[in-house]
Amino acid sequence: MDIQTLSQIKSKFVARQVADELVIVPLSGNVAQMNELFTLNETGKFIWENITDDKTAEQLSTLMTEEFEIDQQTALRDVEAFLKQMNLLEKYNN
Amino acid sequence: MNQFGFNFKISIAEIVFHVFSQKAIELEEGYVPFLADVEANTDIQVECFHQLPETDLAKLNLLFEAKNEEQRFYSIYENADGYCFVIYNQQQKDEIQQIAFLNSSFNYWKIYSRTALALKYPMGPILMHYLTLYTDAVLMHASCAFDGKKGRMFSGFSGVGKSTMSMIWAKSGSQIINDDRLVIRKLNGQFFVYNTPMYYVDISKKAPLNAIYLICHYPENKANKVSGAIAVSKVMAFCIQNNFDKSFINKRLDFFSELCAITPVYELGFVPDSSVVTYITENEKQG
Repeated sequence: MDIQTLSQIKSKFVARQVADELVIVPLSGNVAQMNELFTLNETGKFIWENITDDKTAEQLSTLMTEEFEIDQQTALRDVEAFLKQMNLLEKYNN
Repeated sequence: MNQFGFNFKISIAEIVFHVFSQKAIELEEGYVPFLADVEANTDIQVECFHQLPETDLAKLNLLFEAKNEEQRFYSIYENADGYCFVIYNQQQKDEIQQIAFLNSSFNYWKIYSRTALALKYPMGPILMHYLTLYTDAVLMHASCAFDGKKGRMFSGFSGVGKSTMSMIWAKSGSQIINDDRLVIRKLNGQFFVYNTPMYYVDISKKAPLNAIYLICHYPENKANKVSGAIAVSKVMAFCIQNNFDKSFINKRLDFFSELCAITPVYELGFVPDSSVVTYITENEKQG
């Protein structure tokens, strides 16, 4: 999933921090999706919270190197892996 | 069916509903043990009418639909002050059974029914679901056993063994609060589990909630404690909820975050015999 799409989809979820992680719950207009909940670990939470329309994967990975003790290459790999995982939220993009 | 009269009160999870009408109201027999003293302080008013109102649904904003590929169960529309529920007859496709209006404070229902059976399924469970938005509570798809000291809730998808688990605990002497649907309510900082009126008669029950088990059949008894966001999301997944409004979801997240912070949550694979009772009690002693 690309950053712009994910940034738009974010508004269709309610997020809540629990300890260092994030629970995200989709707003849903039908009963079929009412029990779908997702959790994001500390890294996923950081990316989710920092994603905006105008950010690039490189900018997000730079932010990650400032937050966590990782190099730019690892951070970029984490961002790309996260975006790939977020494909499962594609159905909420309508 | 039981004719309850024109004016009576029922108490579910210690929330008192005042049900009243110009004509006699009939309720399913499962409500009988939940009748409350007419002098009890009312929390939620339920005004019933024996006719469907003239409502132009096309002019209302559809918020939520509970349906499968074959039929609709109920639809929720935005109303001037709250919500409008359209309940469909499950035996007669697309026939409206009830139209109900709930105010935005969740404490005044107007239920218009085709028959005298005002809370005919699924109107009753919808009423119970929305009482949880009136107070600090949630409605769960779960069973609960109370051994006199501890209340243990067992949840999971249909067919994972909630009823089997209930039977095992009942044989070991525990009281089964219910084996399918429960209200969890926070009262004075503590969490309690209540049963709700069902299609069969059962007395009104309450137990403290001391542990939550997310169960599945397994070759051996094996528990894995979960916490934090994982616990919140896994337990909340079995909450009966209509997530069309951010404030509803936020309220549930508050509730489950607090519940899971003070109540141990386990994923439990279990063998369906009495060995699971011993396993659970021993496992809890070890923390």
